Amino acid sequence: MIDTTAIRKNLKLLIDGDPWIIVDFQFVKPGKGQAFTRTKMKNLISGNTMERTYKSGEKLDEARIDENEMVFLYNQGKTYTFMDNTTYEQVELTEENVGDAKNFLVENMNVEVLFFNERPISIEVPNFVNLQIVDCEPATKGDTVSGATKPAKLSTGHTVYVPLFVNNEEWVVIDTRDGSYVERVKK
Amino acid sequence: MSGRASGLNRFPGDFAATLRLRHTIIQAIRQFFNARSYIEVETPLRVPCPCIDIYIDAFPAGASLFLSASPEFHMKRLLRLPLDRIYQITRAFRAEEAGRHHSAEFTMLEWYRTGTDYHGIRQETEELVRSLADTLGQHCAELQFPFPVMTVSELYGAHAGWDPCASWNEDRYFRDWAEIIEPVLPGLGAFFLQDFPAPLAALAQLSINNPQVCQRFELFINGLEIGNAYSELLDYEEHVRRFAESAAVRNKIGKQPYPADAGFLEALRLGLPACGGIAIGVDRLIMALSEIDDIGLVQAFPAERL
Repeated sequence: MIDTTAIRKNLKLLIDGDPWIIVDFQFVKPGKGQAFTRTKMKNLISGNTMERTYKSGEKLDEARIDENEMVFLYNQGKTYTFMDNTTYEQVELTEENVGDAKNFLVENMNVEVLFFNERPISIEVPNFVNLQIVDCEPATKGDTVSGATKPAKLSTGHTVYVPLFVNNEEWVVIDTRDGSYVERVKK
Repeated sequence: MSGRASGLNRFPGDFAATLRLRHTIIQAIRQFFNARSYIEVETPLRVPCPCIDIYIDAFPAGASLFLSASPEFHMKRLLRLPLDRIYQITRAFRAEEAGRHHSAEFTMLEWYRTGTDYHGIRQETEELVRSLADTLGQHCAELQFPFPVMTVSELYGAHAGWDPCASWNEDRYFRDWAEIIEPVLPGLGAFFLQDFPAPLAALAQLSINNPQVCQRFELFINGLEIGNAYSELLDYEEHVRRFAESAAVRNKIGKQPYPADAGFLEALRLGLPACGGIAIGVDRLIMALSEIDDIGLVQAFPAERL
Protein backbone atom coordinates (compact mmCIF):
# COMPACT_ATOMS: atom_id res chain seq x y z
CA MET A 1 0.00 0.00 0.00
CA ILE A 2 1.16 3.54 -0.75
CA ASP A 3 -0.49 6.83 0.13
CA THR A 4 -1.32 10.03 -1.73
CA THR A 5 2.17 11.51 -1.31
CA ALA A 6 3.39 8.85 -3.80
CA ILE A 7 1.14 10.19 -6.58
CA ARG A 8 3.14 11.28 -9.61
CA LYS A 9 2.84 11.05 -13.39
CA ASN A 10 3.11 7.46 -14.70
CA LEU A 11 2.35 5.92 -11.30
CA LYS A 12 0.40 2.72 -11.97
CA LEU A 13 -2.51 1.95 -9.65
CA LEU A 14 -4.67 -1.11 -9.18
CA ILE A 15 -8.34 -0.12 -8.98
CA ASP A 16 -11.10 -2.76 -8.91
CA GLY A 17 -8.70 -5.28 -10.42
CA ASP A 18 -7.68 -3.06 -13.33
CA PRO A 19 -4.32 -1.34 -13.87
CA TRP A 20 -4.53 2.44 -14.28
CA ILE A 21 -1.77 4.96 -15.00
CA ILE A 22 -1.72 8.55 -13.67
CA VAL A 23 -1.45 10.90 -16.64
CA ASP A 24 -1.87 14.16 -14.71
CA PHE A 25 -2.38 15.29 -11.14
CA GLN A 26 -2.74 18.43 -9.05
CA PHE A 27 -2.31 18.93 -5.31
CA VAL A 28 -5.26 21.04 -4.12
CA LYS A 29 -5.31 22.57 -0.67
CA PRO A 30 -7.02 25.77 0.39
CA GLY A 31 -4.68 27.62 2.80
CA LYS A 32 -6.74 26.58 5.80
CA GLY A 33 -8.53 23.56 4.44
CA GLN A 34 -8.30 19.86 3.80
CA ALA A 35 -5.81 18.68 1.19
CA PHE A 36 -6.71 16.57 -1.85
CA THR A 37 -4.91 15.33 -4.92
CA ARG A 38 -6.95 15.51 -8.09
CA THR A 39 -5.85 12.97 -10.68
CA LYS A 40 -6.55 12.09 -14.27
CA MET A 41 -5.82 8.48 -15.12
CA LYS A 42 -5.97 6.06 -18.01
CA ASN A 43 -6.96 2.41 -17.91
CA LEU A 44 -3.94 0.51 -19.24
CA ILE A 45 -6.12 -2.19 -20.80
CA SER A 46 -9.12 -0.35 -22.24
CA GLY A 47 -7.53 3.08 -22.69
CA ASN A 48 -10.53 4.70 -20.95
CA THR A 49 -9.77 7.79 -18.89
CA MET A 50 -11.30 8.98 -15.64
CA GLU A 51 -10.76 11.65 -13.01
CA ARG A 52 -10.49 10.73 -9.36
CA THR A 53 -9.87 12.92 -6.32
CA TYR A 54 -8.03 11.49 -3.32
CA LYS A 55 -8.06 12.94 0.16
CA SER A 56 -4.54 13.38 1.54
CA GLY A 57 -3.41 10.31 3.44
CA GLU A 58 -5.76 7.95 1.57
CA LYS A 59 -4.19 4.57 0.83
CA LEU A 60 -3.70 3.35 -2.74
CA ASP A 61 -2.80 0.00 -4.30
CA GLU A 62 0.10 0.06 -6.71
CA ALA A 63 -0.34 -2.10 -9.82
CA ARG A 64 2.51 -4.53 -10.48
CA ILE A 65 3.41 -3.93 -14.09
CA ASP A 66 6.35 -5.69 -15.70
CA GLU A 67 8.14 -3.96 -18.55
CA ASN A 68 10.11 -5.75 -21.21
CA GLU A 69 12.03 -4.11 -24.04
CA MET A 70 10.90 -5.64 -27.32
CA VAL A 71 11.20 -4.85 -30.99
CA PHE A 72 8.17 -4.15 -33.14
CA LEU A 73 8.06 -6.67 -35.99
CA TYR A 74 4.89 -6.00 -37.99
CA ASN A 75 1.17 -5.55 -37.82
CA GLN A 76 -1.51 -7.48 -39.62
CA GLY A 77 -4.99 -6.05 -39.47
CA LYS A 78 -5.59 -5.17 -35.84
CA THR A 79 -2.80 -7.35 -34.45
CA TYR A 80 0.64 -5.97 -33.59
CA THR A 81 3.54 -8.39 -33.10
CA PHE A 82 6.59 -7.70 -30.93
CA MET A 83 9.65 -9.83 -30.22
CA ASP A 84 12.04 -10.15 -27.30
CA ASN A 85 15.51 -9.70 -28.82
CA THR A 86 17.21 -12.08 -26.43
CA THR A 87 14.68 -14.94 -26.12
CA TYR A 88 13.07 -14.43 -29.57
CA GLU A 89 9.74 -14.89 -27.83
CA GLN A 90 6.94 -13.11 -29.68
CA VAL A 91 3.81 -11.48 -28.26
CA GLU A 92 0.74 -10.07 -29.96
CA LEU A 93 -1.15 -6.95 -28.90
CA THR A 94 -4.42 -5.57 -30.21
CA GLU A 95 -4.75 -2.15 -31.82
CA GLU A 96 -6.67 -1.10 -28.69
CA ASN A 97 -3.72 -2.16 -26.49
CA VAL A 98 -1.23 -0.24 -28.64
CA GLY A 99 -3.42 2.88 -28.59
CA ASP A 100 -2.04 6.19 -29.89
CA ALA A 101 1.47 4.71 -29.91
CA LYS A 102 0.59 3.14 -33.27
CA ASN A 103 0.94 6.60 -34.82
CA PHE A 104 4.68 6.46 -34.15
CA LEU A 105 5.47 2.76 -34.59
CA VAL A 106 7.80 1.66 -37.37
CA GLU A 107 9.22 -1.80 -37.94
CA ASN A 108 12.32 -2.65 -35.89
CA MET A 109 11.61 0.12 -33.34
CA ASN A 110 12.46 -0.78 -29.74
CA VAL A 111 9.55 -0.23 -27.35
CA GLU A 112 8.64 -1.19 -23.78
CA VAL A 113 5.86 -3.77 -23.68
CA LEU A 114 3.89 -3.63 -20.42
CA PHE A 115 2.68 -6.88 -18.87
CA PHE A 116 -0.04 -7.18 -16.23
CA ASN A 117 -0.53 -10.67 -14.75
CA GLU A 118 1.85 -11.90 -17.45
CA ARG A 119 -0.47 -10.64 -20.15
CA PRO A 120 0.74 -7.90 -22.56
CA ILE A 121 -1.53 -4.90 -22.13
CA SER A 122 0.14 -1.83 -23.55
CA ILE A 123 3.33 -0.39 -25.00
CA GLU A 124 5.43 2.69 -24.35
CA VAL A 125 7.30 4.22 -27.27
CA PRO A 126 10.35 6.48 -26.70
CA ASN A 127 9.54 10.17 -26.06
CA PHE A 128 11.35 11.15 -29.25
CA VAL A 129 11.31 9.11 -32.45
CA ASN A 130 12.71 9.70 -35.96
CA LEU A 131 10.09 9.30 -38.67
CA GLN A 132 10.04 9.95 -42.40
CA ILE A 133 7.57 12.27 -44.11
CA VAL A 134 5.87 10.55 -47.02
CA ASP A 135 3.50 13.28 -48.13
CA CYS A 136 3.62 17.07 -47.73
CA GLU A 137 3.71 20.28 -49.78
CA PRO A 138 7.14 21.27 -51.13
CA ALA A 139 9.23 23.45 -48.81
CA THR A 140 9.03 27.22 -49.12
CA LYS A 141 12.42 28.89 -48.86
CA GLY A 142 13.40 31.38 -46.25
CA ASP A 143 10.50 31.21 -43.83
CA THR A 144 12.12 29.89 -40.66
CA VAL A 145 10.60 32.32 -38.16
CA SER A 146 6.90 32.89 -38.85
CA GLY A 147 5.79 29.78 -36.98
CA ALA A 148 3.44 28.85 -39.84
CA THR A 149 2.95 25.11 -40.31
CA LYS A 150 1.58 22.66 -42.87
CA PRO A 151 0.25 19.10 -42.55
CA ALA A 152 2.73 16.29 -43.24
CA LYS A 153 1.90 12.59 -43.46
CA LEU A 154 4.39 10.28 -41.75
CA SER A 155 5.39 6.79 -42.91
CA THR A 156 3.12 5.47 -40.14
CA GLY A 157 0.13 7.10 -41.84
CA HIS A 158 -0.24 9.64 -39.05
CA THR A 159 -0.39 13.36 -39.91
CA VAL A 160 1.60 15.96 -37.95
CA TYR A 161 2.16 19.67 -38.44
CA VAL A 162 5.64 20.79 -39.52
CA PRO A 163 7.21 24.17 -40.39
CA LEU A 164 6.99 25.34 -44.00
CA PHE A 165 10.71 24.79 -44.66
CA VAL A 166 10.47 21.00 -44.18
CA ASN A 167 10.51 18.92 -47.38
CA ASN A 168 8.72 15.76 -48.46
CA GLU A 169 10.73 12.57 -47.74
CA GLU A 170 12.75 14.28 -45.02
CA TRP A 171 13.24 12.61 -41.63
CA VAL A 172 11.92 14.53 -38.63
CA VAL A 173 12.00 14.11 -34.84
CA ILE A 174 8.51 13.77 -33.30
CA ASP A 175 7.66 14.11 -29.61
CA THR A 176 5.38 11.10 -29.08
CA ARG A 177 3.82 12.54 -25.92
CA ASP A 178 1.87 15.16 -27.84
CA GLY A 179 2.64 14.28 -31.46
CA SER A 180 4.44 17.57 -32.05
CA TYR A 181 7.30 18.24 -34.49
CA VAL A 182 10.64 18.86 -32.75
CA GLU A 183 13.25 19.31 -35.48
CA ARG A 184 14.65 17.86 -38.68
CA VAL A 185 16.91 14.86 -38.26
CA LYS A 186 20.47 16.08 -38.77
CA LYS A 187 22.25 14.18 -41.49
CA MET B 1 -4.30 20.80 -14.73
CA SER B 2 -1.59 19.98 -17.21
CA GLY B 3 1.92 21.15 -17.86
CA ARG B 4 4.38 23.30 -16.04
CA ALA B 5 4.57 27.04 -16.51
CA SER B 6 1.52 27.03 -18.78
CA GLY B 7 1.07 30.78 -18.20
CA LEU B 8 2.53 33.47 -20.35
CA ASN B 9 5.86 33.40 -18.48
CA ARG B 10 7.31 36.77 -19.43
CA PHE B 11 10.84 35.48 -19.14
CA PRO B 12 10.90 31.96 -20.57
CA GLY B 13 14.09 30.23 -19.54
CA ASP B 14 15.56 33.42 -18.07
CA PHE B 15 15.65 32.63 -14.37
CA ALA B 16 17.83 35.65 -13.48
CA ALA B 17 15.14 37.91 -14.96
CA THR B 18 12.50 36.17 -12.83
CA LEU B 19 14.57 36.80 -9.70
CA ARG B 20 15.01 40.47 -10.69
CA LEU B 21 11.24 40.70 -11.06
CA ARG B 22 10.86 39.09 -7.63
CA HIS B 23 13.21 41.71 -6.18
CA THR B 24 11.25 44.54 -7.87
CA ILE B 25 7.96 43.30 -6.42
CA ILE B 26 9.31 42.82 -2.89
CA GLN B 27 10.93 46.28 -2.86
CA ALA B 28 7.69 47.79 -4.19
CA ILE B 29 5.76 46.10 -1.37
CA ARG B 30 8.10 47.68 1.19
CA GLN B 31 7.76 51.10 -0.46
CA PHE B 32 3.97 50.80 -0.42
CA PHE B 33 3.85 50.18 3.33
CA ASN B 34 6.67 52.56 4.27
CA ALA B 35 4.85 55.34 2.42
CA ARG B 36 1.75 54.61 4.55
CA SER B 37 3.62 54.91 7.84
CA TYR B 38 3.68 51.18 8.47
CA ILE B 39 6.75 49.89 10.25
CA GLU B 40 8.38 46.60 9.33
CA VAL B 41 8.71 44.19 12.26
CA GLU B 42 10.38 40.85 12.81
CA THR B 43 8.97 37.96 14.83
CA PRO B 44 10.41 34.53 15.72
CA LEU B 45 10.45 31.63 13.28
CA ARG B 46 10.59 29.06 16.11
CA VAL B 47 7.40 29.43 18.11
CA PRO B 48 5.47 27.53 20.81
CA CYS B 49 2.21 27.58 18.81
CA PRO B 50 2.52 27.51 15.00
CA CYS B 51 -1.15 28.25 14.28
CA ILE B 52 -4.70 27.42 15.34
CA ASP B 53 -5.60 25.63 12.11
CA ILE B 54 -6.67 22.00 12.07
CA TYR B 55 -5.38 21.42 8.54
CA ILE B 56 -2.00 23.11 8.75
CA ASP B 57 0.82 20.78 9.75
CA ALA B 58 3.85 22.44 11.29
CA PHE B 59 7.44 21.22 11.40
CA PRO B 60 8.77 20.46 14.89
CA ALA B 61 11.73 22.73 15.63
CA GLY B 62 13.18 21.33 18.84
CA ALA B 63 12.59 22.25 22.51
CA SER B 64 8.80 21.85 22.10
CA LEU B 65 8.81 24.58 19.44
CA PHE B 66 7.55 24.58 15.86
CA LEU B 67 8.55 26.42 12.71
CA SER B 68 6.05 29.24 12.34
CA ALA B 69 3.17 28.68 9.91
CA SER B 70 2.30 32.39 10.10
CA PRO B 71 3.57 35.28 12.23
CA GLU B 72 0.11 36.36 13.32
CA PHE B 73 0.17 35.69 17.08
CA HIS B 74 3.39 37.62 17.64
CA MET B 75 2.43 40.44 15.31
CA LYS B 76 -0.88 41.01 17.08
CA ARG B 77 0.95 41.16 20.42
CA LEU B 78 2.98 44.07 19.03
CA LEU B 79 -0.22 46.04 18.40
CA ARG B 80 -0.53 46.47 22.18
CA LEU B 81 2.72 48.46 22.53
CA PRO B 82 1.00 50.40 20.88
CA LEU B 83 1.98 50.08 17.24
CA ASP B 84 -0.96 50.79 14.97
CA ARG B 85 0.44 49.84 11.55
CA ILE B 86 2.87 46.95 11.20
CA TYR B 87 3.97 44.68 8.37
CA GLN B 88 6.42 41.86 7.88
CA ILE B 89 7.87 39.87 5.00
CA THR B 90 8.98 36.56 6.48
CA ARG B 91 9.28 32.85 5.92
CA ALA B 92 6.40 30.53 6.74
CA PHE B 93 6.52 26.73 6.89
CA ARG B 94 3.84 24.14 6.25
CA ALA B 95 4.70 20.45 6.23
CA GLU B 96 3.23 18.10 3.63
CA GLU B 97 2.44 20.87 1.16
CA ALA B 98 4.03 20.40 -2.25
CA GLY B 99 2.73 21.02 -5.74
CA ARG B 100 2.64 23.57 -8.52
CA HIS B 101 0.97 26.05 -6.14
CA HIS B 102 2.40 24.82 -2.83
CA SER B 103 5.79 24.83 -1.19
CA ALA B 104 6.56 23.71 2.36
CA GLU B 105 8.71 26.83 2.83
CA PHE B 106 7.45 30.08 1.37
CA THR B 107 7.54 33.84 1.78
CA MET B 108 4.65 35.54 3.53
CA LEU B 109 3.67 39.18 3.68
CA GLU B 110 1.50 39.93 6.67
CA TRP B 111 0.16 43.27 7.86
CA TYR B 112 -2.11 44.59 10.62
CA ARG B 113 -3.80 47.93 11.08
CA THR B 114 -5.74 49.05 14.13
CA GLY B 115 -9.06 50.87 13.89
CA THR B 116 -10.19 48.96 10.82
CA ASP B 117 -11.87 45.68 9.86
CA TYR B 118 -11.76 43.31 6.91
CA HIS B 119 -13.43 45.87 4.65
CA GLY B 120 -10.59 48.31 5.29
CA ILE B 121 -7.99 45.60 4.73
CA ARG B 122 -9.74 44.52 1.52
CA GLN B 123 -9.52 48.04 0.15
CA GLU B 124 -5.85 48.31 1.11
CA THR B 125 -5.10 44.92 -0.46
CA GLU B 126 -6.54 46.07 -3.76
CA GLU B 127 -4.53 49.29 -3.53
CA LEU B 128 -1.36 47.25 -2.95
CA VAL B 129 -1.99 45.02 -5.98
CA ARG B 130 -2.82 48.06 -8.10
CA SER B 131 0.39 49.78 -7.06
CA LEU B 132 2.43 46.65 -7.86
CA ALA B 133 0.73 46.43 -11.25
CA ASP B 134 1.67 50.07 -11.89
CA THR B 135 5.27 49.36 -10.89
CA LEU B 136 5.53 46.41 -13.26
CA GLY B 137 3.76 48.20 -16.11
CA GLN B 138 3.85 46.13 -19.30
CA HIS B 139 5.42 43.18 -17.45
CA CYS B 140 2.29 42.71 -15.34
CA ALA B 141 -0.55 40.28 -16.03
CA GLU B 142 -3.73 42.00 -17.14
CA LEU B 143 -5.95 42.74 -14.14
CA GLN B 144 -9.44 44.25 -14.07
CA PHE B 145 -9.85 46.81 -11.29
CA PRO B 146 -11.78 47.14 -9.08
CA PHE B 147 -11.80 43.48 -8.06
CA PRO B 148 -15.35 42.13 -7.64
CA VAL B 149 -16.45 40.73 -4.28
CA MET B 150 -18.24 37.39 -4.11
CA THR B 151 -19.49 35.58 -1.01
CA VAL B 152 -18.85 31.90 -0.32
CA SER B 153 -22.64 31.35 -0.43
CA GLU B 154 -22.77 32.87 -3.92
CA LEU B 155 -19.78 30.87 -5.21
CA TYR B 156 -21.04 27.51 -3.92
CA GLY B 157 -24.61 28.35 -4.90
CA ALA B 158 -23.55 29.06 -8.48
CA HIS B 159 -21.24 26.07 -8.99
CA ALA B 160 -21.91 23.40 -6.36
CA GLY B 161 -25.64 23.94 -5.87
CA TRP B 162 -25.68 24.35 -2.08
CA ASP B 163 -24.94 26.92 0.61
CA PRO B 164 -22.30 25.78 3.10
CA CYS B 165 -23.02 28.80 5.32
CA ALA B 166 -26.64 27.78 5.83
CA SER B 167 -26.02 24.03 6.24
CA TRP B 168 -22.43 23.25 7.15
CA ASN B 169 -20.85 19.98 6.00
CA GLU B 170 -17.09 20.10 6.29
CA ASP B 171 -16.17 17.05 4.23
CA ARG B 172 -18.55 18.02 1.46
CA TYR B 173 -17.25 21.60 1.52
CA PHE B 174 -13.61 20.65 0.99
CA ARG B 175 -14.27 17.83 -1.50
CA ASP B 176 -16.45 20.18 -3.56
CA TRP B 177 -13.68 22.76 -3.30
CA ALA B 178 -11.14 20.32 -4.78
CA GLU B 179 -13.42 18.84 -7.44
CA ILE B 180 -15.77 21.67 -8.43
CA ILE B 181 -14.73 25.08 -7.12
CA GLU B 182 -10.95 25.05 -7.63
CA PRO B 183 -11.26 24.17 -11.35
CA VAL B 184 -13.58 27.16 -12.01
CA LEU B 185 -11.43 29.73 -10.17
CA PRO B 186 -9.01 30.50 -13.07
CA GLY B 187 -12.00 31.68 -15.14
CA LEU B 188 -13.00 34.21 -12.46
CA GLY B 189 -9.93 36.43 -12.82
CA ALA B 190 -9.06 38.55 -9.78
CA PHE B 191 -11.74 38.69 -7.09
CA PHE B 192 -12.32 38.71 -3.36
CA LEU B 193 -14.13 35.75 -1.85
CA GLN B 194 -15.63 36.72 1.48
CA ASP B 195 -17.98 35.83 4.33
CA PHE B 196 -16.78 32.28 4.93
CA PRO B 197 -18.89 29.78 6.89
CA ALA B 198 -18.59 30.40 10.66
CA PRO B 199 -16.85 27.03 11.29
CA LEU B 200 -14.00 28.31 9.09
CA ALA B 201 -13.56 31.51 11.12
CA ALA B 202 -10.17 30.52 12.57
CA LEU B 203 -9.23 33.88 14.13
CA ALA B 204 -11.93 35.98 12.47
CA GLN B 205 -14.91 37.66 14.12
CA LEU B 206 -18.33 36.33 13.30
CA SER B 207 -20.54 38.64 11.29
CA ILE B 208 -22.71 40.81 13.53
CA ASN B 209 -25.78 40.49 11.29
CA ASN B 210 -25.40 36.82 10.44
CA PRO B 211 -23.61 34.48 12.86
CA GLN B 212 -23.52 31.75 10.17
CA VAL B 213 -20.68 33.63 8.45
CA CYS B 214 -17.44 35.20 9.61
CA GLN B 215 -15.63 38.39 8.66
CA ARG B 216 -12.98 36.75 6.56
CA PHE B 217 -11.98 37.23 2.92
CA GLU B 218 -9.49 35.72 0.53
CA LEU B 219 -8.01 37.23 -2.62
CA PHE B 220 -7.86 35.06 -5.72
CA ILE B 221 -6.05 35.99 -8.92
CA ASN B 222 -6.55 33.71 -11.93
CA GLY B 223 -7.07 30.60 -9.82
CA LEU B 224 -4.37 31.28 -7.25
CA GLU B 225 -5.29 31.79 -3.60
CA ILE B 226 -3.19 34.86 -2.80
CA GLY B 227 -4.16 36.00 0.68
CA ASN B 228 -6.42 35.52 3.68
CA ALA B 229 -7.77 38.31 5.90
CA TYR B 230 -9.90 38.80 8.99
CA SER B 231 -11.62 41.31 11.11
CA GLU B 232 -9.48 40.05 13.96
CA LEU B 233 -11.24 38.29 16.81
CA LEU B 234 -10.54 40.16 20.07
CA ASP B 235 -12.54 38.12 22.58
CA TYR B 236 -10.31 36.29 25.06
CA GLU B 237 -12.85 33.63 26.09
CA GLU B 238 -13.74 32.86 22.48
CA HIS B 239 -10.06 32.42 21.64
CA VAL B 240 -9.58 30.00 24.53
CA ARG B 241 -12.57 28.05 23.25
CA ARG B 242 -11.27 27.97 19.63
CA PHE B 243 -7.77 26.84 20.68
CA ALA B 244 -9.31 24.02 22.71
CA GLU B 245 -11.65 23.01 19.89
CA SER B 246 -8.83 22.94 17.33
CA ALA B 247 -6.66 20.82 19.62
CA ALA B 248 -9.55 18.41 20.24
CA VAL B 249 -10.23 17.97 16.53
CA ARG B 250 -6.53 17.50 15.71
CA ASN B 251 -6.36 14.88 18.41
CA LYS B 252 -9.43 13.14 17.05
CA ILE B 253 -8.08 12.92 13.49
CA GLY B 254 -4.74 11.59 14.69
CA LYS B 255 -2.68 14.78 14.37
CA GLN B 256 -0.54 16.28 17.09
CA PRO B 257 -2.57 19.02 18.85
CA TYR B 258 -0.96 22.44 19.14
CA PRO B 259 -0.81 24.14 22.53
CA ALA B 260 -2.74 27.39 22.95
CA ASP B 261 -0.43 30.39 22.51
CA ALA B 262 -0.03 31.62 26.11
CA GLY B 263 1.67 34.93 25.24
CA PHE B 264 -1.00 35.74 22.69
CA LEU B 265 -3.82 34.83 25.09
CA GLU B 266 -2.27 37.06 27.75
CA ALA B 267 -2.24 39.98 25.28
CA LEU B 268 -5.92 39.30 24.52
CA ARG B 269 -6.77 39.19 28.21
CA LEU B 270 -5.16 42.59 28.69
CA GLY B 271 -7.00 43.84 25.62
CA LEU B 272 -6.12 44.16 21.93
CA PRO B 273 -7.25 47.16 19.87
CA ALA B 274 -9.81 46.53 17.12
CA CYS B 275 -7.87 45.64 14.00
CA GLY B 276 -7.82 43.94 10.64
CA GLY B 277 -5.00 41.94 9.12
CA ILE B 278 -4.03 39.83 6.17
CA ALA B 279 -1.46 37.23 5.18
CA ILE B 280 -0.37 37.13 1.55
CA GLY B 281 1.71 34.43 -0.10
CA VAL B 282 4.41 36.47 -1.80
CA ASP B 283 5.56 33.67 -4.13
CA ARG B 284 1.99 33.22 -5.35
CA LEU B 285 1.53 36.98 -5.75
CA ILE B 286 4.66 37.03 -7.94
CA MET B 287 3.30 34.05 -9.89
CA ALA B 288 -0.03 35.80 -10.46
CA LEU B 289 1.49 39.12 -11.52
CA SER B 290 3.99 37.49 -13.89
CA GLU B 291 1.74 34.64 -15.10
CA ILE B 292 4.16 31.92 -14.08
CA ASP B 293 2.08 28.89 -13.08
CA ASP B 294 4.66 27.03 -10.99
CA ILE B 295 5.88 28.13 -7.57
CA GLY B 296 9.20 26.36 -8.23
CA LEU B 297 9.88 28.88 -11.01
CA VAL B 298 9.65 31.98 -8.79
CA GLN B 299 11.72 30.71 -5.83
CA ALA B 300 15.51 30.73 -6.10
CA PHE B 301 15.81 27.30 -4.47
CA PRO B 302 12.55 25.34 -4.37
CA ALA B 303 12.40 21.93 -2.67
CA GLU B 304 13.43 20.03 -5.80
CA ARG B 305 16.60 22.12 -6.19
CA LEU B 306 17.81 22.19 -2.57
